Amino acid sequence: MKKSVLYLLLAAAGAVLLIAGGLWLRSGVENVAAYLCIGVGAGILGHGLGGWLQERALSKDPETRRRLEIETSDERNIILSCRAKAKAYDAMVYIFGTLMLVFALMRVDVAAILLLVAGYLAVCGIGVYYRIRYDKEI
Amino acid sequence: MKNRLEELRRARGIRQEELADALGVSRQTIGSLENGRYNPSILLAFKLARYFDMSIEDIFIYEEEVR
Repeated sequence: MKKSVLYLLLAAAGAVLLIAGGLWLRSGVENVAAYLCIGVGAGILGHGLGGWLQERALSKDPETRRRLEIETSDERNIILSCRAKAKAYDAMVYIFGTLMLVFALMRVDVAAILLLVAGYLAVCGIGVYYRIRYDKEI
Repeated sequence: MKNRLEELRRARGIRQEELADALGVSRQTIGSLENGRYNPSILLAFKLARYFDMSIEDIFIYEEEVR
């Protein structure tokens, strides 16, 4: 299936979700799921429409498509992106740690702090997993 | 790592954009290579060597670090 058709289908699915969420709210039943439908629907609709417009523009301009492909596969760009992500990860570990401490001092609900701790540990765990995996692969 | 990329490119009268196009990399990569700010992967080094019909050692100058 063509990429542009896939994006259109995605946009349509997003629109359906968005409209369903709106109708759900208008029916008077106010719940989290309706707001979730609107949020997720709007996101999918935007992503689908954006992708479709990009595909349309690039299909008329093969030179720009070629340049875009070079930019995304360029080894220096990939290295820069990986380095930036690594720096962001390092910063995230400190930011998460500080947030946990601040939340504990603010006496925020234990469930919220535990969720944050679980997220923090999951991120660290994923880091360790990939470190070991890449050590075996490379 | 120092290299002779700029000298070789200028000697052939080609622009950074043309070299980048021929190698399938961005113009910024060629600029960074010429400035010595970026060391290429071994694959890109081979591509450059093939493009200029030279060996990698003729393009890139390896200087051992003094400790």
